[in-house]
Amino acid sequence: MEAHSILSKRGFEVRSFGTGSHVKLPGPAPDKPNVYDFKTTYEQMYNDLVRKDKELYTQNGILHMLDRNKRIKSKPERFQQCKDKFDLVITCEERVYDQVLEDLNSREQETMQPVHVINVDIQDNHEEATLGAFLICELCQCIQHTDDMENEIDELLQEFEDKSNRPFLHTVCFY
Amino acid sequence: MDISSKGDDTPAVVDMTTSEKVVELLNQASLISTDEKLTTLKQVQELIINKDPSLLDNFLDEIIAFQTDKSIEVKKFVIGFIEEACKRDNELLVRLIANLNMLLKDESVNVVKKAILTLTQLYKVTLQWLVRSKTLSEMQEACWDLITQMKGEVLALLDSDNDGVRTHSIKFTESLIITLSPRTPDSDVPKRQEGDISLDKVPKDHTYIHYGTLCEEGKSALEKLLKFMVHPAISSINLTTALGSLATIARQRPMFMSEVVQAYETLHANLPPHWPNLSVEFQGQISTLLLDLGMPQTEITRYTPAPREPRKRPR
Repeated sequence: MEAHSILSKRGFEVRSFGTGSHVKLPGPAPDKPNVYDFKTTYEQMYNDLVRKDKELYTQNGILHMLDRNKRIKSKPERFQQCKDKFDLVITCEERVYDQVLEDLNSREQETMQPVHVINVDIQDNHEEATLGAFLICELCQCIQHTDDMENEIDELLQEFEDKSNRPFLHTVCFY
Repeated sequence: MDISSKGDDTPAVVDMTTSEKVVELLNQASLISTDEKLTTLKQVQELIINKDPSLLDNFLDEIIAFQTDKSIEVKKFVIGFIEEACKRDNELLVRLIANLNMLLKDESVNVVKKAILTLTQLYKVTLQWLVRSKTLSEMQEACWDLITQMKGEVLALLDSDNDGVRTHSIKFTESLIITLSPRTPDSDVPKRQEGDISLDKVPKDHTYIHYGTLCEEGKSALEKLLKFMVHPAISSINLTTALGSLATIARQRPMFMSEVVQAYETLHANLPPHWPNLSVEFQGQISTLLLDLGMPQTEITRYTPAPREPRKRPR
């Protein structure tokens, strides 16, 4: 969502999704996450957490994050339920990358229009999310400025890999 | 009642016929910036393809004229329009296939790629239309000759020096192989493609569409794809695409199963020399596919070398 926020501020047409079966937010202990379904709005999650433990969720930044999210859209969306077609999908975790590929490859092919899927590993904490969002944004800007994205993307990713010292995964699926 | 005639220069949009609306939109489209032009042209497309297809014939030339627009996006729109128009009214193929042929040779690879995607669809549409057509005309035969020629050109693009063009050519080849081979009872046909033409629906006594020739062309396309896959300098994206295409072909045309499995085996034994670590990435995919294809797990294990770096996969 941090990347969504930055990308849309810079004028990209962007959507954000979860891939799990539920929306999970940190809870009072690692084994006690707050679990919501995809119908729950960010507003409802916010109010729920305020009611449960306002101090804890203010301190760990979750309320702040939900507040930012609800200004972007009303509720989370699940990738597997979205039938819109994209040019580029960026994931921030290898596990999610695999889920995206599994979903895209399980759909019936229709137009054969390619969609490039790229994974950039980003740790799930505030600082990394901000750094990662800027990295993703820079990558998108570079991709946007290529004349021939498909022919140049490998080289571009290589550059980003070296510069950011993170491994990128990249593949193509077809709608 | 004319509710919008408050001022002299406010167009009375509500009272216009669809035809008048299209004229006005087309007039606007020739004068405005690319982004607005695309929005306007998409409105025209909606009006004459979905809302009132009887207008399609009238405005065809006006829309096709935008194929010489400077903007790549506008040219891509025209290609999309050709596809939708021909799907809506197959008779238009004889008029529009030559335009698609020109766009297939455009100087922009992005236009070429869009043209390949559309040819992938229209090849099937044309074959189906001509096979079912009750009349015979020279125009139709010429249309078939041209699309056959275009098919050959796109197959040749497997050797293009542009990675994305090759990717699109692989997908075209996949679709062509499926069209030009018979659907059998053990074919796993996706729901969306149930109505698609395949070789078994081509009559053996058609005057200019020859069953035997098509059958050979299908087999030859598969050979080309298999040969493409073992090229030592193949890119990772092209190889992934080709592997996926072979899996699709094997599922839909089990008659080619042995060629496909053999290709996987050969590839497994001879991974491209410039990716020493790639075996880990493909092992999982290939094992899953082989398992799907009915290869016993014991056999897969027998051919699988010990994992090296199981966690981090190279790109």
